[in-house]
Amino acid sequence: MMEYIGVIMFFVALAALLLGYPVAFTFGGVALIFVLIAKFPELAELMDEGASTGEIVSEAFSTFAFMPYRIESIMQGTTLMAVPLFIFMGIVLQKTRLAAQLLEAMGRLFGSVPGGLAVSTILVGTLLAASTGVVGASVVAMGLISLPVMLKYQYDKSLACGVICASGTLGQIIPPSIVLIILGDVLGIPVGDLFKAAVGPSLVLVGLYVAYVLFRTWRNPQDAPPMPRENDGTSKAAYIWEALKAIIPPLLLILIVLGSIFAGIATPTESSALGGVGALVLALLYGQLNLRILYDSSQETVKITAMVFAILLGATAFSMAFSYTGGDAIVEELLHGLPGGKMGFLIMSMLVILVLGFFIDFVEISFIIVPILYPVAEAMGIAPVWFAILVAMNLQSSFLTPPFGFALFYLKGVAPDSIATTDIYKGVVPFIVIQVAVVLSILFFPAWYGLL
Amino acid sequence: DKVYRLKLAETWGPNFPIFGDSTKNMAAMANKMSNGRLKITVDSSNKHKSPLGIFDMVKAGQYDMGHSASYYWKGKDINTLFFTTMPFGMTTPEQYAWFYHGGGMELMKEAYDKHGILSFPGGNTGNQMGGWFRKEINTVEDLKGLKMRIPGFAGEIMAKLGASPTNIPSGELYTSLERNTIDALEWVGPSLDLRMGFHKIAPYYYTGWHEPATELQFMINQKKWNKLPEDLQEILRVAMRTAAYDMYIQSYHESAVNWETMLTDFPNIKVKTFPKPVMDAMRAANDELIIERAKSSPLAQKIVDSQAAYLKKARVWTNISDRAYLDSLDN
Amino acid sequence: MLSRLETWINKISDACGVIASILFVLLLFNIFYDVVARYLFSQVSIGMQEMEWHLFAAMFLLAIPYTIRTDGNVRVDLIYEGRSDRGKALINLFGTLVLLLPFVLLIAWFGIDFAYQAFDLGEGSGDPGGLPHRWIIKAVIPLSFFMMALAGVAVVIRSLKVLKQGDNS
Ligand code: NA
Ligand code: NA
Repeated sequence: MMEYIGVIMFFVALAALLLGYPVAFTFGGVALIFVLIAKFPELAELMDEGASTGEIVSEAFSTFAFMPYRIESIMQGTTLMAVPLFIFMGIVLQKTRLAAQLLEAMGRLFGSVPGGLAVSTILVGTLLAASTGVVGASVVAMGLISLPVMLKYQYDKSLACGVICASGTLGQIIPPSIVLIILGDVLGIPVGDLFKAAVGPSLVLVGLYVAYVLFRTWRNPQDAPPMPRENDGTSKAAYIWEALKAIIPPLLLILIVLGSIFAGIATPTESSALGGVGALVLALLYGQLNLRILYDSSQETVKITAMVFAILLGATAFSMAFSYTGGDAIVEELLHGLPGGKMGFLIMSMLVILVLGFFIDFVEISFIIVPILYPVAEAMGIAPVWFAILVAMNLQSSFLTPPFGFALFYLKGVAPDSIATTDIYKGVVPFIVIQVAVVLSILFFPAWYGLL
Repeated sequence: DKVYRLKLAETWGPNFPIFGDSTKNMAAMANKMSNGRLKITVDSSNKHKSPLGIFDMVKAGQYDMGHSASYYWKGKDINTLFFTTMPFGMTTPEQYAWFYHGGGMELMKEAYDKHGILSFPGGNTGNQMGGWFRKEINTVEDLKGLKMRIPGFAGEIMAKLGASPTNIPSGELYTSLERNTIDALEWVGPSLDLRMGFHKIAPYYYTGWHEPATELQFMINQKKWNKLPEDLQEILRVAMRTAAYDMYIQSYHESAVNWETMLTDFPNIKVKTFPKPVMDAMRAANDELIIERAKSSPLAQKIVDSQAAYLKKARVWTNISDRAYLDSLDN
Repeated sequence: MLSRLETWINKISDACGVIASILFVLLLFNIFYDVVARYLFSQVSIGMQEMEWHLFAAMFLLAIPYTIRTDGNVRVDLIYEGRSDRGKALINLFGTLVLLLPFVLLIAWFGIDFAYQAFDLGEGSGDPGGLPHRWIIKAVIPLSFFMMALAGVAVVIRSLKVLKQGDNS
């Protein structure tokens, strides 16, 4: 019984999460309780030896004396510094309506062909994704701008919602991306390598999104009818000019962030600060910058950052308890014993992450589940970057899977009342299927993506 | 018989080559020699997550033992700086002789006593390489503005000569060097550098000057040590000393093997030694800095003096024995 | 009395949020400055580089109490969302007392000695030109976790109020 305490703790924690108390402190609190339980035999021994109450109490809590050291390591973990900075970039882009302008211009340009609005939403999503690293901002922007337009022109509701959720979450896999930064930190892989490796798979993903929309438009033209060209006398050239103007800011940011890394101006971490300052400069050029926007963006950034790092603190306490109670050893043994060797292990890992992704989000999975799986992957000689990209692509699905997909919440929050939750759920299904297909292709044909 | 369990935290990650072998080797020997009465479990950095917290954790008794390097603690106590290696200092055999016969162990005990820690030599890497450079260093002028990842005391010397020591997380080192974010970096030596791939992007591999004899350390919490029966203390002492020696030999071997591989697999690597004027300038900067550091405490002065005196004595013999022998082969 | 305590705590938590927001802006420009100085002028200051993680760490640690106050933490709300105000208050009361408070208070407690050790040794950076007085940034651990505990106390008071109102109606 006692030897399985770590494993029991794991399931108790998952059950406790369902209560709905904040994830970070659920993990931290459960860890503390189980460390105490695991100490019982030792404490009983001390009591038999006639130790004083003070000694017993201090022994009981002693494991937590490690916490400041673990927290210090997080504080000095400069890789994760990029997380708030990329969040900030996305928020500034959204607050200054630069994202909105791009969406509107692209919609006008491509809207008049069947499926055009959906495809331009995917393209805009891709552009925004390549210039920043967050999900919320793009989904909200598109939900506010693209969705009403698509609905106005009689797009199928679930198609419209699915396209927005899927393209709005692209930011998590197309570099720069928070998921990749966190995985780089957790797995000890240079973030630059991950960014490079993620380009291929994410372009395939985008390509499949577009292919799906075109295919569906071809089979069911009524799902994505063309937008009648407005007769306001604006020429096609004017639309193109406007679209070009709107595309400059995100392209510039992509240039600043990725360009500064590849030109050796900055490390990947530092590039995020260049991007943040770049976003501010753009806001200034477009006449959108003031102190209020700077402070509000910073405050919002800090809130989301605290969310992520609170979970990281809870997770570090949890994984400490997990390893000190021997849970990691048991899981390792279990995973090593899986039939099918490497492939058996990878398929199992992907299933676990996919299923957990329905209930908890990528931060918990990255901080709690991945560190449990990774030593086994390492011992089996699985290429770290391959493993990371598999996990990242898989986590991508967790943003879309009901009931807790972040993207679903964000969209529901800004969608008009005519959109039912089921429209959104139904809409994301084909895109989840596409994501799973991409994960499978990376799993079985890593060479296609240059990952082996 | 009572079984004594000791928990050891090491700075290195799991499966870290050579360094990590040293702790496993020590734990296994101690267990065998004590007929199972000493059980030492080793936690790598993936478990305790605090590679540079070893000193504090052993001091506070959260871990009974540690395996790390003394110069990491110079920010906490300057007296700990001198027990790993010093630029332009002793070679490995000279330094071992100083530790065990020249008063080094006594001085190390004095330095660690006030922290309630005992420190023992924990394995030597041998002479480390001077680092990978993207451009050739021909004059002291070439060091000016050179952005180099070189931490600690050696970094201060480079800074004195006008270089810019730069902090880069180890995960970003390769990209930073590749993209000219930095111009140079020092890592360890052929045994560990090749797996980082630096040779692909920096053609010049300079011979060493700043870490001629890097000695790791075993640490033990003094209270825990005092609780051990005398025979187990002796067993532990012997296990640590043997593990340290084993690591030195292993490092030597692996370096030789890796060097050979490097020369055949990557013939384009240009192995260089800094020209004499550059070495002299670095040495002058080093001497100045050491005088400065020695002033920071009476003990530091004592250690510096002891090392200087011993080096002087031992080097005469090194010159007559090893150097003369090697030179005579060249003639 | 309790209400006044709650208001007072909320003010402190809000202040943490303001400080964190300012620290973030400083962090942004700190890194920007370091990159520009290095790339354009070949000037590197290890002190400024270390300042980056000092700002970063203080920022996210102090932001957490603020996030507790604004109820901004991630929840799995499968069950939670459907609860009445009373049900939510019960979950928050129970969670804060059993999970949050013991956890953060214990870390705050061990954080004190952690920071004191650094103070006692006069610990500073080991790198050339690095920052001295490491105890200051280490002290942010006990400080911020104590603030989290305070923010937790405010959650307890708020939950109790909701539960009491429920009794009256
Ligand atoms: Na992105
Ligand atoms: Na989900």
